[in-house]
Amino acid sequence: MTVLLALPALLLMAVVFGWPMLRYAWLSFHADSVLTGLVPIPNGGANWLRLLTDSRFWLDAGQTSRFAMVSVGLELILALAIALLLDQRWRGRSAVRALSLLPWALPTTMMALGWRWIFNTPYGPIEHLAEAAGIGPLNLLSTPAVTWMVTVLADVWKTTPFITLILLAGLQTIPEDLYAAFRLEGGTAFQALRRVTIPLLLPYILLSLLFRLAQAFGVFDLIQVLTGGGPAGTTESLALYAYLNGMRFLDFGYSATVMIGGFLLLSLLILLGALLLRMTGALRAMQP
Amino acid sequence: MRRSIRIVGGLIGLLFVLACVAWSGPKQPVPVSILMPAPYADASTQLVKAFNREHRGSIQLEVIRGPLETESISDLAISSLLLGDTPFDALLMDVTWLPKYAEAGWLEPLDPWFDQSALDQLILGARLGNHYNDHLYRWPLGADVGVLYWRKDLMEAPPSTPQQLSDIAIKLVQSNRVTNGFVWQGRQYEGLSCNFVEVLHGFGGQWINPANGQLELDSTSAARAAEWMQSLIATGASPRAVTNYSESDSLQAFKAGDAAFMRNWPYAWAELQKPESNVRGKVGITLMVAEPGQSPAATVGSWGLSLLKQSPHPEAAVEAIRYLTSETAQRERFLNQGYTPTSQSLFTDPDLVAVSSALPQIAKALEHSVSRPPSPLYAQLSDLLQRQLNGLLTAEPEQTNIDVGMATDASAAAMNRVQTKSDMLLKATGAEA
Repeated sequence: MTVLLALPALLLMAVVFGWPMLRYAWLSFHADSVLTGLVPIPNGGANWLRLLTDSRFWLDAGQTSRFAMVSVGLELILALAIALLLDQRWRGRSAVRALSLLPWALPTTMMALGWRWIFNTPYGPIEHLAEAAGIGPLNLLSTPAVTWMVTVLADVWKTTPFITLILLAGLQTIPEDLYAAFRLEGGTAFQALRRVTIPLLLPYILLSLLFRLAQAFGVFDLIQVLTGGGPAGTTESLALYAYLNGMRFLDFGYSATVMIGGFLLLSLLILLGALLLRMTGALRAMQP
Repeated sequence: MRRSIRIVGGLIGLLFVLACVAWSGPKQPVPVSILMPAPYADASTQLVKAFNREHRGSIQLEVIRGPLETESISDLAISSLLLGDTPFDALLMDVTWLPKYAEAGWLEPLDPWFDQSALDQLILGARLGNHYNDHLYRWPLGADVGVLYWRKDLMEAPPSTPQQLSDIAIKLVQSNRVTNGFVWQGRQYEGLSCNFVEVLHGFGGQWINPANGQLELDSTSAARAAEWMQSLIATGASPRAVTNYSESDSLQAFKAGDAAFMRNWPYAWAELQKPESNVRGKVGITLMVAEPGQSPAATVGSWGLSLLKQSPHPEAAVEAIRYLTSETAQRERFLNQGYTPTSQSLFTDPDLVAVSSALPQIAKALEHSVSRPPSPLYAQLSDLLQRQLNGLLTAEPEQTNIDVGMATDASAAAMNRVQTKSDMLLKATGAEA
């Protein structure tokens, strides 16, 4: 009966998720490019061999992981602080709660265009401030060592509200009596945070981590608009590389290989994270 | 009884005849739809109206206003072509897309409709980039080449060699007569490749050898060209920000009066003559600089109309292509929007020269047109070049040359990397055994 009830959902998953994945996995063992007249021709593991020796794929994988981990890490810390603040009772809280969601509601491409303008050299406001402070020009969007941090900043600004929302929902499930009891036992506010709030919030933290890591690992629109992968390819993500191979280079076989390769790497990353959590016993702490 | 049957039969017959006449009466016009980037679509509004007036009842032309950015248009077109049921009959294409689209089998050759005499009427720069494998696949809508803009109020005459350009720019910046010397397009995108091709030819090099199809980016000329571009930034002849500039950023700086030189396309001329421009009437156009003894070069960047293989009405679509690229249309687009014409005769037309004094200089640049490699893998090759070149431009220079255009280890290494990676790519994709 349970299976029967789950069937529609499973079918939907198979159609929108399973089928494209299988199709791409199949395509990754074919040459399908402008040179084959866009007809898939089996080429064994040639695409995969190419992927293994493609320094750009590995470079992008590293850059994408760096982007995902740093931005999600920062977002989590910020979101926790903001959620705790928004969970307190104070005047004007509802207005601030609504306002704090605003960045999440903006379309990413528009927001990326905005950042591109803000960091524009020499006409953007940041450069104006830097010039006034006597430290300009900064050229933040054309300095390979720094530009990736700008992409992180834009992502943090945009998606912190998402995690805030999840954590805020989590905070509201923690009964007030727990805190009262904790205070009665003589616990301080900081101890309450460590012993009550964080452990009870952990499922929500893990959930948002999972959501956001997967999402950040597949980052495309923000990078495409803000930097186009530059300067010198230092902000290129795996999704951007797959897109370039497919839509720009018309090499669908290799594009599929990059996509599946990226998917496998992400799965590995999440698996490692889960193992790490298990080892540190964090998962056990989740059980009340 | 028999009579009434005859009457009824006659009436039915009459009705049938009437129905036939009514049904075949007003012929449905053949719909033709063409996808263009937004600026070109806007510039064609009046022409489309005129075309539909002249072809009332036979052809109904519709120009679809696509996105603004070059690559977004390509994405849109490719998506529809991949799905196998494109709503477009023809497409306005950038010069670099043609080999890719032709190789993918999406284009219908235009040879039956345009003969040699039609080609001969085009100015040299407009004749390039329309053929692939000896077939004509595209008819140019406007000519487009890279040119060098210079400030008449800051110098007597424009430079003609890289050394002169660097010297003038540095001197003007150091004497605080202008904020920036030379602005160009150094962002990691197709524009950087266009800039590089001009400099490369100016130093006597070439990207691909047309005789044998071999890439030649490992040449000394290529390393010297790359080094000169890096030295522009290192010596302060160009602001560091050019490494993130596209055409519009350069134009913005030059239009504001903040730069002495600008590399850009002819469209910028009309922008610089607008009332809000700070450099109105102070600007000259010339060819990109070249080493003594080398011929200056201008990268071809033209747009043209291609017929899609899936079009159900090729005849009507070609009729529309002819109309939109006719001399009348070229004249109208030039006078109203400043788009460069393609017919040789129009470049000396007094009406047109009276409107834009830059036209003879643009004609001269068109005579020095050079193409980017006409390969179906061009997008990949260019992408490899952009990455390495942008990496070189944004790196801290290890050594600064006193002599302009001496190859350094860094520039030679960067160019060798492009060469190696390009050769690897050609092998990996099976383009080269």
